[in-house]
Amino acid sequence: MNTTARRAHSAPDATTADPAGGREADDAIVELREALVYDLDEGFARLVGAHQAVAYSVALRTTGHRADAEDLLAESLLRAYRALRGYDATRLRELQPRPWLLTIVVNTRRNQVRDAARRPRADGAEPPDRPSTERSVEDRAQDAETSDELAAQLARLTDVQRTAVVLRHVVDLPIDEVAEVLGCPPGTAKSHVSRGLSRLRALMTPPDGVHTAATSRSNP
Amino acid sequence: MNDMTDHPTDDLTDDAVSTDLLDELANLASPPPAELTEGLFDRLFDRWLTTESPLGPVLVAYTGRGVSFVRTSALVPGEQFLETHRRRFGRPLRRADSTPAGLVDALWGRPGSVPEVDLEGLSAFEHDVLAATRTIPLGQTRPYAWVAREAGSPRAVRAAGSVLARNPVPLLVPCHRVVRSDGSPGQYLFGPETKQQLLSSEYARAHDL
Repeated sequence: MNTTARRAHSAPDATTADPAGGREADDAIVELREALVYDLDEGFARLVGAHQAVAYSVALRTTGHRADAEDLLAESLLRAYRALRGYDATRLRELQPRPWLLTIVVNTRRNQVRDAARRPRADGAEPPDRPSTERSVEDRAQDAETSDELAAQLARLTDVQRTAVVLRHVVDLPIDEVAEVLGCPPGTAKSHVSRGLSRLRALMTPPDGVHTAATSRSNP
Repeated sequence: MNDMTDHPTDDLTDDAVSTDLLDELANLASPPPAELTEGLFDRLFDRWLTTESPLGPVLVAYTGRGVSFVRTSALVPGEQFLETHRRRFGRPLRRADSTPAGLVDALWGRPGSVPEVDLEGLSAFEHDVLAATRTIPLGQTRPYAWVAREAGSPRAVRAAGSVLARNPVPLLVPCHRVVRSDGSPGQYLFGPETKQQLLSSEYARAHDL
C-alpha cells in the first residue's frame, strides 16, 4: 500500500501538522498563539488559514453534503472567534488550536441536528436558511454530490462512531486528539473508532461475498 | 503491510480489507473547493475603512451584504471603533482594500446608486424604522411620529426615536432628517448642533438645484 499518498491526502494542513501525524508542530502552535494574543483578528485569520482544510473535511464527512459543510464551517469559525474574544492571554497561550477548533465543529453540528429535530415541520415547507438539516444524513449522503459509496456508508454509522472514524482515519488525528474532540478518554475513543470500522466493513461487504475476509468476520 | 506501525492504536488493521478501507477513508479527506477558500474569508471577516464625510472623517464597516456600521472618528476613534464593532456584531474585521461602489456619494448625499446596507441582526421593528427613514429625500424632514407610523407602529414614537439613536449606518440611513413634530431638530447620535448643520446644508443644496 502507498502510505505516502495517504499522508498527502490525510494531512491537508501539512504546514502545521508534523510529518509523523502527531501533535501540531510546536513552533507553528506557539506562533499562532502569539498572533492571537497580539492581534485577535489577525491571529484568527491565521488560524482559519492553517486549519480550514482539516475542518472542512470533518464538516463534509460528518454532514455528507457540501453546502452543509460550508455553512457548518463558517458557523463554527464564527463561534470560534466569539469564544476567542472571551479568552485572556493565559488561556490563548494554552490553546491547542486543531482539537479545539474541531471540537467546535463537532458540537456545532450536534446542535444543528438537535435544533432541526426539534423544529416543527410545517407541511413540507422548509425554512429557507437551513433546508438540508431537515433531512437525515442518510438521505443527503445518497445525493448525487456524494456518489462515493464509502462516504454514503459513513452516514449509516452512529454520530459518535462516524465522528470518531472521520477524525481518526479521514483527517488522520492521533487518538488522544480524537478523544479530546469527543470529550472522552482515549480508550473510549479507540473503541468508537474500532466499532465504527467494524460496522463500515460489514456495510461495505457486497452481497456476493467477494470480500471474504470481512464476510467471515461478520458471519463466522 | 505497514499499517501496524501506521496506526498502532487500532486493533482491526491486520487484514487486507481493513487496509483497503483505511486507504479509502484517507482518500475522503477532500481539500475545500477553491471558491470556498476564497469566499470563506469574505464570509467571516467584515471590512473596514476610513473616508471623509459631511461629519468629518468616518470609519465604515461592511459585510458581503452591504455597509453595516458607520461612526465618526471624532466620536469613536480608530481602535475603539474596531472594538465597538466586534462587541456589537461579534465578527472579525480586516482593513478593506477597496471602497464599496457608491459609498462616498451616498455619505455626501449625492444622487446616484446607493450602496446596500446590511441590517442583519436587527429586529423587524428596527429594520422597518430604518427602512422608512431611508426613504426621506435630501432637503426634507419627517417627524418621529411619521417614522413610527410608516414602520407600522404609530404609537411607538419614542421607540422609533431609540432605534434611530442607535442607527448603525447614519448618513446612509439619514436619521438626521427625522425631527420633532414642532420642527425642532431633536437629538442626534453626533449631537443636535451637527444635526442642525447637516439639515441646513442639505436644505440649501436641495433648493439650489
